[in-house]
Amino acid sequence: MNPLPIDPKNLPLVSGDPFQGNLAQILLLVILLGAVAYLLLQHGLIKSKMMAWAGAGLFAFAALMAFTSIPMQLDSIVRMCFSILAVAGGVAFVTNREPVHAALGFATAVLSSCGVMFMQSAYFIAAATMIVYAGATIIVFLFVLMFAQKAQLQWYDVQLTSPVIAAAVSTSLLLAIAWSVSESGEILPVKLDLTRPYSLAAPGPSPGLTMPPVPEASMTQEQLDAFVPGKTSGLGRSMFTDYLLAIELAGTVLLVATIGAMVLAQKPERDLS
Amino acid sequence: MSHSEVQNLLLLGGILFALGLIGFLSRRSLILMFLSLETMLSGVSLNLIVFSKFHQNYQGQILAIMVLTISACEAAIALAMVVSLYRRKPTLDVQAWDDLSETILPKSTEGDYQGLEHEENYPKLSPAGLDPLDRPVPSSMQASLDQDQKTSPIVSEAK
Repeated sequence: MNPLPIDPKNLPLVSGDPFQGNLAQILLLVILLGAVAYLLLQHGLIKSKMMAWAGAGLFAFAALMAFTSIPMQLDSIVRMCFSILAVAGGVAFVTNREPVHAALGFATAVLSSCGVMFMQSAYFIAAATMIVYAGATIIVFLFVLMFAQKAQLQWYDVQLTSPVIAAAVSTSLLLAIAWSVSESGEILPVKLDLTRPYSLAAPGPSPGLTMPPVPEASMTQEQLDAFVPGKTSGLGRSMFTDYLLAIELAGTVLLVATIGAMVLAQKPERDLS
Repeated sequence: MSHSEVQNLLLLGGILFALGLIGFLSRRSLILMFLSLETMLSGVSLNLIVFSKFHQNYQGQILAIMVLTISACEAAIALAMVVSLYRRKPTLDVQAWDDLSETILPKSTEGDYQGLEHEENYPKLSPAGLDPLDRPVPSSMQASLDQDQKTSPIVSEAK
């Protein structure tokens, strides 16, 4: 039963500018980044301050090129700053030999990606990620790290398992991602999720009687932009109407994980036999 | 939301995922390996949120909440496992647990499994203790009947 009075086959589509096919540049950049990643991995940030500075210079150059090529708007500048911070935090996380410094790099990366999520109007997820990752996970990981950490750097922190394979695998993965992302073409944006109609019905004692406004093909771009999911209340309504079973299952999984963690972290009982 | 913005953010998610993959494949500390996993999950949820904004519905955000839940569960279980592993061997090195993968045994081939189906194949135990034929027990420790009977409790019991 479809409570919405619009035809799903007749959805209004907003066509943006199609992807620009700057494929070769991006692929070359990715291969270059892979080589730099291998060198950084092999020598670390501590041993090679010179290379770190060279990488930072390259990064600043690339950022400058991007800034000059992208039309300047405030939100794009802020988004790019968050993205650069996220990537720099990730690089610091991967290349730092000191585990606590690496964990701080991870926190930087996650907080910056939270900023990006905030700008994508996913306010609840940005806040929850900040609380869960940067609040709980980092604190508890640092706690365990200090519980288990020796005074000086351990040899398993310095030595890597297989940096060549790691750099090669993730460079090829990033190559595939960049290829598929920068392929020229157009994704048709679907305006409304009609398969999950309950969250679109107006709240109240008699849901379904008063319909919220639905997008139509005759609307202008500003009117259509009002349907962008930017409200946390809409997310909550969708969570507890359309995806109620999934949310309950997630809660059950959390409960099971809590019990499992408590059982696993117990001290083993002394064998009396 | 323009296509180039979507493109940039998807690339950012991909870069985070690749950095996490590098960390997971190359680091040896257990905790940093789990942090690399969290980095990969962060890239994935960024991807989902970008598509949620692009398609203008809540599906991506719901899926990102699921990813967040599972990553919280994973972190809890992983920390408990690290703590209980640390009690057994006081190191965070992941290669300290390489012996869980049976590196002593030769690599199994198909013929081995076929042999197992037909005949009983007991494991060969390594010899324990001393072989009495190789090293005879010294005469001072040998039990014999013609010693003094008071010092031999076995003989006195038999008597």
